[in-house]
Amino acid sequence: MRLQTRKILDRTFAGTGVLAIVLMSAALLILLTPIFIRGAGALFFTGTVEHRRLMLEKFDRGNRKQVEAEIRSAQAAREPIYRTIAVFDQQLAHGDAKERAKYKKPLKELKKALQDLLGPAPGSVRPMLMRDQYGQTRWDRAQIKLARVLYREEWDYSNPTKSGVLLLKSRAADFAGTPIQELFSYMEKNLDQLLLPRRTLYWQFLTDESFDSHFFGGIWPELLGTIYLTLGAMLLAIPMGLIAAIYLTEYARESRLLNLLRTCISTLAGVPSIVFGLFGLAFFINTLKVSNSKSVLAGSMTLALMILPTVIRASEEALRSVPRTYKEAALSLGAGRWHTIWNVILPSALPGILTGIVISMGRAAGETAPIIFTAAVSVGKPLALWQTLSQPTPALSWNIYNLATEHEAVDEVRHVQYGLVLVLVSLVLLLNLAAIILRARIAKRMRA
Amino acid sequence: MTENVKTMNEMRRDMPPLLLSHSARRRQRIAAAVGNGFLLAVTSLSALAVLFIFYFIARDAWPFFRLEGVREFFTSVRWYPSADHAEFGALAMFVGSGLVTLGAILVAVPLGVAAAVCLSDVLPFSVRQVVKPVIEILAAIPSVAYGFFALVVLAPLLQESGGPILGVAVWIVGAPLAALAIVVVADLATDRLRDRTRTRVRWLIVGLLGVGAFAALAFAGKALGGLQIASGANALNVSIILGIMALPTVVSVSEDALQAVERGLREGSYALGATRAETLVKTVLPAAGSGILAAVILGVMRAIGETMVVWMASGNAAQIPSPWYNFLEPVRTLTATIAGDMGEADHVTGSARYHVLFLMALCLLVFSLLCNLSSEWVIRRTRKKTGG
Amino acid sequence: MNTWNKIVLGIVAIGMTAGLATAGDANKIVVDGSTTVGPIAKAFAEYYMGQHPDVNITVSESGSGNGAKSLINAACDVAAMSRPMKNSEMKAAKDAGVLPIEHIAAMDGIAVVVHPSNPLANLTIEQIRDIYTGKITNWKELGGPDRPMVAISRDTNSGTYETFETMVMNKAKMGEKVEYVGSNGAIRQRVMSTPAAIGYVGLAFTEEVKPLTVNGVEASAETVASKEYPISRPLYLYTNGRPKQSSPLHDFINLPDAPEGKKIVEDLGFVPSN
Repeated sequence: MRLQTRKILDRTFAGTGVLAIVLMSAALLILLTPIFIRGAGALFFTGTVEHRRLMLEKFDRGNRKQVEAEIRSAQAAREPIYRTIAVFDQQLAHGDAKERAKYKKPLKELKKALQDLLGPAPGSVRPMLMRDQYGQTRWDRAQIKLARVLYREEWDYSNPTKSGVLLLKSRAADFAGTPIQELFSYMEKNLDQLLLPRRTLYWQFLTDESFDSHFFGGIWPELLGTIYLTLGAMLLAIPMGLIAAIYLTEYARESRLLNLLRTCISTLAGVPSIVFGLFGLAFFINTLKVSNSKSVLAGSMTLALMILPTVIRASEEALRSVPRTYKEAALSLGAGRWHTIWNVILPSALPGILTGIVISMGRAAGETAPIIFTAAVSVGKPLALWQTLSQPTPALSWNIYNLATEHEAVDEVRHVQYGLVLVLVSLVLLLNLAAIILRARIAKRMRA
Repeated sequence: MTENVKTMNEMRRDMPPLLLSHSARRRQRIAAAVGNGFLLAVTSLSALAVLFIFYFIARDAWPFFRLEGVREFFTSVRWYPSADHAEFGALAMFVGSGLVTLGAILVAVPLGVAAAVCLSDVLPFSVRQVVKPVIEILAAIPSVAYGFFALVVLAPLLQESGGPILGVAVWIVGAPLAALAIVVVADLATDRLRDRTRTRVRWLIVGLLGVGAFAALAFAGKALGGLQIASGANALNVSIILGIMALPTVVSVSEDALQAVERGLREGSYALGATRAETLVKTVLPAAGSGILAAVILGVMRAIGETMVVWMASGNAAQIPSPWYNFLEPVRTLTATIAGDMGEADHVTGSARYHVLFLMALCLLVFSLLCNLSSEWVIRRTRKKTGG
Repeated sequence: MNTWNKIVLGIVAIGMTAGLATAGDANKIVVDGSTTVGPIAKAFAEYYMGQHPDVNITVSESGSGNGAKSLINAACDVAAMSRPMKNSEMKAAKDAGVLPIEHIAAMDGIAVVVHPSNPLANLTIEQIRDIYTGKITNWKELGGPDRPMVAISRDTNSGTYETFETMVMNKAKMGEKVEYVGSNGAIRQRVMSTPAAIGYVGLAFTEEVKPLTVNGVEASAETVASKEYPISRPLYLYTNGRPKQSSPLHDFINLPDAPEGKKIVEDLGFVPSN
């Protein structure tokens, strides 16, 4: 081959490698960007007066006087709409039957669309469901709902062999010649008067309970559930993992048995997560009966089993990396074996062990499959500590799945889904960041 | 290291401290034995967990053989677990799991090995320090977040403009590859010719092959570009995401393997005048081959055991795509079947439906055990060979 | 001595927590089961917890079969089911010493839904069956656009699936190409985003998809209430035995008969039971 070709090949070879790394980073970026941007939208968004009303009524949050003034001002802006509709209703009731029949359906639809946008009309019966008690709390959703008020979707199916075409029919045209026609342009122009949008930081998203199956409110029960599950898993996995690692590094002699133990542990690491879920159900709940039903305890045990190999491996590695001179020095000073481990080896291996623990914490927090059958429910209150022994809990990971696929109005709660993903991913990334920092410090100390 | 310690312990044993009385020494020895036993017990407990899992899963899988027999399970694609005459053909799930795993490997291995080579041999240390956290973060992101992305972002994207994206992808991947191949082929074919004719023949070959490659690419690009993807929840979607999820494993394990290859090999190759690419491809990669194989095996394990992504975004159709390599059709995997069907199945009603899910879990377990053993064997063999 | 004190204290504390844990169980209601009944169960739970802040009601939506199984295993207090208990389940319950009592939460229709752009308006039961067995594979066979169908079904663990299987499929088996998804919401979402899709969902899940008329009858609360709509069924809540008068469980399980409960059911798009 010519030298030139060889050079080209060499360059492309290096280029491919760089490209692979760039692609990998790009994948990470593409994955994280929507999660962070739209997830942030769950906490930081343009909120309407309905949001502030909700906060005031449910949590007594915000400046009562100011919010009440806002509510009054919004009501004043809405008043012409409801008055016009009421007048038109009256007019129809006394008018001829043909008119009434003509406007019955459009009027009903309009009222429903209005209720979606602004909440129940003044003087109407208070709805039972919270989602019907308030108008749109978020400005972005409000604009979508406004479009529904202004236009109705109609599909043109005139050619049955082709897909229908979406036509947006102006509702104003439906009511042409009536006083209601004027309302539409009024609403379009004055939507900000009707809803008073304002930039809102809803940090309580993290600490509020959810209302009406996540239509409103925050994700505290999920967050707390994940924290319980993770801490529970760590509480069980750390002592076991540490003891096993100490045995494997300090006590065990190379033997068949040891090899078998090692193989078992690495096989445990390779067991698919859903199988852990099945095992947790079959063993902890159905056989051991640690709790009657799904519970945080059973979930923690299952998760602990799952992360055990990671904890063992990380601790083993950390213990092995302790310079052997430390141990020899301690032993030669007459310290016992256990004394040496406890006072010399463990302290110097601690940062490494911690790194492993923190990383497996991230794994425990993020896993879904093992807790499906053992701990997770879609709706529940935040638990008190003692309740974790017997009660199931919502959890971030499970509720992402639940809200993204099982919820009755997936689109309406999209911001909550993104919020959940953001919180879960941030939690895991923070844990990993801690691990990276820890490791950097070890490296520094080693160099020093 | 252990030998040194041992001798020291032996020394301690031979020369007991003078202060201790006979009974104190015995007490101490008993305490040591008890402590040792305790540690061994705890360690065995964590190791036994895996045997426990095997036992419990196998125990609940076993009755299926009695109730239904195995033949149908492994050979039929008819999956009607709730019908009056229930049928439990799981072949489609095996194929589904295999297909998405194959797809994931096709994504993860080329990218992963290239990235590993780049990390271990091309990039300077400082850049490596930046790239490492990227890999770690990719590994750390929870699977449900990947699944959410696959369902909410990738699936609609594939459904709306999957065809054009594939069309463009063909060009992006194919064009450079084809160009490179053409240059190499032209070069090799004209190696023996005389200088004068060589250039001419080379240009001729490049021109001919170039036109051919262009036509092929244009054809493939157009065919794919016009594709209407009926549903974005399909094997392709899941393969891409699983591939990204398996990447960190593949990269880090193969990087370790590459690092383990002695410097001397590389230096020898450079000394013979080989370029870096030639050194890596002809010397380093073969030497690290079994390590990379282990990386691939671990990647396979990661992909085949994944639940949430496939459950959320694979479409869950219990069918073998036709033709089998049609990645644009929805598939159903073993893991997703377990997660989705466990709701109905229960041991209290003693149905074959409960046991069939455990049988699937058992198959997954056995598979991951085999993978694990083979990867361990491969790594051990490498260690022996390289003498490390 | 000090250490011993600590240990004893610790044991006492653990014992007390355990005691509290069992004591607290009276105020907890665990609901498990159907995703179709999910919205009702969640709204009831929300409403009830709003009235009684000391009660914790958890709701899992894992499928009707799972609800039955949890009830039999005494893993839940209320099994929400979109189909009646099967004989095998009743028998298993009896063996386990559980006596399932049926309460009707609401009536529901199964709407057959397509993408709003689909020109088709009506299907007969036979046509629906042919679609799901794989006999009809393209919309043009029904006079629609030339597009291969994407038939989407609920997972086999759902009561909706079993109702559909008995009321529509009439023992015929689903074709191999049928896709399975885990919940009503998921079907709705898939149909919303897939022009060639067809699926079936509970009445409460028809927003932004196009419900077809079945045998010429529109799927709505009225037609379900009047039993005109051919694919309708009651939704159930099962308990183990009759709950004690004035226990939280008793109040909760009787919500469907209370006026507030009926209102909730109606607002969610279901049909209150009589």
